[in-house]
Amino acid sequence: MNKLVSLCAVILLSGCGATTTIDEYRPTNNVMEINSEQSVVILGRRDAGHYDTDREFIDCVASKMKGADIAVLPERQFVDSIYPWFEPRTAPKGLKRLTRLMQDPEIKDQVERQGIRYLVWLDGSTETSGQGGSISCAIGPGGGGCFGFAQWEKSSIYEAIVWDLTDLTEKGRLRVDSAGTSYLIGVVAPIPLLTPVKNDACNSLGTQLKEFFSVDQAE
Amino acid sequence: MPTTKISIFSALLTLFVISGCSSSTQVTVDTQFPSVVSKPQGVNAAVVFSDEFKSYIATPSSKTTIDLGKAQTSLLSNAFRGLFRELEFVSSKDDVTFKDALVITPSVQEVQVSTPSDTYLNVYEVWIKYNLDIETTSGDQVDSWFMPAYGKTPDSFMLSKTNAIEEAAIIALRDAGAKLLLDFYRIPSIYNWMVVEQKLEEQK
Repeated sequence: MNKLVSLCAVILLSGCGATTTIDEYRPTNNVMEINSEQSVVILGRRDAGHYDTDREFIDCVASKMKGADIAVLPERQFVDSIYPWFEPRTAPKGLKRLTRLMQDPEIKDQVERQGIRYLVWLDGSTETSGQGGSISCAIGPGGGGCFGFAQWEKSSIYEAIVWDLTDLTEKGRLRVDSAGTSYLIGVVAPIPLLTPVKNDACNSLGTQLKEFFSVDQAE
Repeated sequence: MPTTKISIFSALLTLFVISGCSSSTQVTVDTQFPSVVSKPQGVNAAVVFSDEFKSYIATPSSKTTIDLGKAQTSLLSNAFRGLFRELEFVSSKDDVTFKDALVITPSVQEVQVSTPSDTYLNVYEVWIKYNLDIETTSGDQVDSWFMPAYGKTPDSFMLSKTNAIEEAAIIALRDAGAKLLLDFYRIPSIYNWMVVEQKLEEQK
């Protein structure tokens, strides 16, 4: 009986791992140099109709970058400093528009004053689907409990595009696709077995993005 | 006697729960907006912020009110500074002192709100529809420009309805500033007025 319970637990826990795939595209294999006086801004795309790239994910990726001694300017600080040119309505969607923006001396001055070298655009969302099963909880004078089983699938798809503000070129693209199933088992107490899909996507994207950059400490 | 007490308690509890379900939402948008990064054109303008506009409270539904007055006055004041060389803010057209300038009177036509229960999307949305009445100081109508603005919350998860609507309203106000700066000098009648008044040459 104990072996059966252990086996079930192992199967369930192994089912809680997310499957994550990363695709990377870079025009060259050269690392992107950044010195200690330069910084990176990670921005979320907010022009899609049904979703916004959530700030929690952007903060998570930014924290991974900071761990590699790369100076990351907070998104809000950058967007405010250059208002209104990076609002959802006005943010450049391509390099052509970025080039036109950077021709404005006031915008260029703001960018240079803050030492911003690279822009990283993040676009994507985490969706829940495939919800199944049912769980019900009840409480009475003699006590309470939950019985049943529920499951749902989550998938995180995010794309990162890196722009170099010095020569106004695209330096690379990353796409992370993470999916997994979470479970909720009601055996008197509800036992959640959650798959950290978004966290996995953030870790993978942050780690891969760090490898794009080479921090030059000498300057 | 204990039965009576329990009944009163139950009735009060039920009333509390029911009133909680039908509560109204009162939102006050109170935030600081950043200064705009923009080089003003060689045009002067007087902006008329009426008392009604400065204290405007929107009622997009019978149970929701949004106090936009202070925030929209602050936002539009910032945005207009990025458009015009010289600017004055007045409460009425009679107070305008400029001689050769545009007189702009903003007003709110409508505010709409949608919640996740309306759209089945995980976002709160706010639309603010402004109208800018644009005249010359001599009283000639230049245009009446419809300026819609839109904002939505990135995610409604863990946000109270009040906070979510406030956040969406702030994003909509920022969008209004962006649209104003992006499109004002693209309005054909404004461009024509600048050509006629030789304002385009002044800025060169």
